[in-house]
Amino acid sequence: MTTLQPASPVVPGFWAGTAASFRAMIRRNGFGLLALIVLILVILGPLYSVVLWAFAERWQYPSLIPQEFGFTFWERTFARADIAEALPFSIILSLVVTLLSAVICLPASYAFARMKFRGRQLLLLSFLATNAFPRFGLYISIAVIFFRLNLIGTVQGVILIQLVNTLLLMIWIPTAAFQGVDKALEEAALDVGASRLRVFMQITLPMVMPALSAALLLTFVNTFYEAQGALLIGLPRVVTMPVLMYSLINSQLIVQYGAIVSLVLWLPSLLLLIVAQRLLRGGYLTAGFGV
Amino acid sequence: MATLDLTGIYKQFGSVTAVHDVNFQVQDGEFMCILGPSGCGKSTLLRMVAGFEMPTSGDIRIDSESVTALSANRRPTAMVFQKYTLWPHMKVSENIAFGLQLRRLPRAVIEQKVKESLALVSLSGYEDRYPAQLSGGQQQRVALARALVLEPKILLLDEPFSSLDAILRVRLREELRRIQRRLKITAIFVTHDQEEALTLADRIAVMNAGHIEQLAAPSEIYASPSSLFVADFIGAMNLIPGTVSGGRLMLGALPVDAPAGLSDGPVTVAIRPEDLVVLDAPQASAWSMTVEQISDLGYYRRAILEMPGMQSLKIFLPKALEAQERGTLHVYARRYLVYRDGNAPQEVVRGLPVSAA
Ligand SMILES: Nc1ncnc2c1ncn2[C@@H]1O[C@H](COP(=O)(O)OP(=O)(O)OP(=O)(O)O)[C@@H](O)[C@H]1O
Ligand SMILES: [Mg+2]
Repeated sequence: MTTLQPASPVVPGFWAGTAASFRAMIRRNGFGLLALIVLILVILGPLYSVVLWAFAERWQYPSLIPQEFGFTFWERTFARADIAEALPFSIILSLVVTLLSAVICLPASYAFARMKFRGRQLLLLSFLATNAFPRFGLYISIAVIFFRLNLIGTVQGVILIQLVNTLLLMIWIPTAAFQGVDKALEEAALDVGASRLRVFMQITLPMVMPALSAALLLTFVNTFYEAQGALLIGLPRVVTMPVLMYSLINSQLIVQYGAIVSLVLWLPSLLLLIVAQRLLRGGYLTAGFGV
Repeated sequence: MATLDLTGIYKQFGSVTAVHDVNFQVQDGEFMCILGPSGCGKSTLLRMVAGFEMPTSGDIRIDSESVTALSANRRPTAMVFQKYTLWPHMKVSENIAFGLQLRRLPRAVIEQKVKESLALVSLSGYEDRYPAQLSGGQQQRVALARALVLEPKILLLDEPFSSLDAILRVRLREELRRIQRRLKITAIFVTHDQEEALTLADRIAVMNAGHIEQLAAPSEIYASPSSLFVADFIGAMNLIPGTVSGGRLMLGALPVDAPAGLSDGPVTVAIRPEDLVVLDAPQASAWSMTVEQISDLGYYRRAILEMPGMQSLKIFLPKALEAQERGTLHVYARRYLVYRDGNAPQEVVRGLPVSAA
């Protein structure tokens, strides 16, 4: 039996009425509203304090905002030798890893998409497996091997370990994209005289470009932020930006360094968002695919 | 200016034999249709000519030169596919120019050829559209232009209009025929639509289960189908089981004229509906049958007739003829074919009985 609840009692008076309708709104949308508030607090809260810290000259408890703003810490941050070295290194490293990953993974994902061979499914899933479990076990065994190969503390070692991390993304996204290209479109290009390579470069590749750029960007950003592997394999001689970040946060009492560096580290993410948005809205995409 | 020779072509997909011992020649400038039910191997055969599939055995020659070992991009053939296969990221003009650019032609020549080929398929002015901005019919016309602009020796078409509506399909096939005649290009057109084949083809190859059942001009295929399969597949046909004993041919309890020299045994008699004529009065050599159903198809009517001891017959009735369902008609078979397993059919043509209208 369900009992019929009387509608919320009509209380005379403006405030009471408003309160009642507010309560009704909460009852209707309560969960969504609550979630939104929590989300804002959780995401924007720390961001807010990081941004403030990055531009704070002096900020003492219990004030809600810094007492003094300025750029002195920016100068000091970039004057530090370790940061001036790690930032360009990290960017170049991420570019190299992304490029290598593309060179290795794109032909592989094309094969996954176009060929039927034994163990195809299993192999595809194996890339997922490396990401489905905590990486640490994998890293430990890789570290043991790298140690024997004298790769610990070398750039090559860091590139290798980061390549492992890119495999899932750079295989799965392009494979799905290649599968979306109708084989008949490639046959039509062969038919007018194009070689296999040309068909791939001029027909297949342009058609998967949106998905591919997304995969490339995600790979770049992921690699740029990757710290676990770089920390384990790279130290003490190879220091990437996120690794440096760890030591800055752990060993420095000056909060501003950490705040400024994390602001800088957000740049690739912002770039990713902007490019992704342009890709989705881009004229060539919509014209070509009738989106 | 090209001929195509197929000799002993087989194609095996695992345990499936898709094409089974196909041999024929397509003449220079000829429009050949390959007609057959779904899954009979039409596309596979065409794809072997284009080079997308390798024959398991057999030889393909164009202008007497074997192309069997050549890959698709080296063959002087061009294909129009059933699916829409324009490249979505290229404009119409770029789609057509792609093959020309591969041949390293000067830019001005390419532009000229693109223009001409678009004019040929009545799409002048569509150069800058993307495929997504075209209707299905326009896309297939561009695909045709893309194939023709390369001046291939053999034009291959695999049900290019089958995803278009009926009216457009008829218009495009007439356009295709006009273009093919003008360019005098050798063409092979795959279809499972017999009307399409009958109206388009110089010759039709009727395919069944991987092999060619009959290869002949449309009128001949219609008039004397060489096998029961073709008789049943092409046009409307009454197929009636019969028996021969002592030189007499019986359809159920009814005797009909037997072709000379037929030995005893079962046969199948095939009568086109239009070869059944309606007489004014009963006749010894005519069948008096009950009208089961009449369908008015505009300029003529189709009726189904029945009679005890005989299977129902399809017949065409002229508009002027008085006929009602449940009424009786006296029909006379003017012409029929008698089939016996594995042999060419024997034709029987009879004059009308003297008292006929
Ligand atoms: N790539 C392939 N692998 C395995 N079997 C195939 C392949 N291509 C075709 N077949 C088989 O070969 C036979 C002939 O196929 P095909 O596509 O040539 O028929 P079709 O006459 O073109 O039929 P439709 O009118 O439906 O297009 C079919 O049984 C089909 O299942
Ligand atoms: Mg087919």
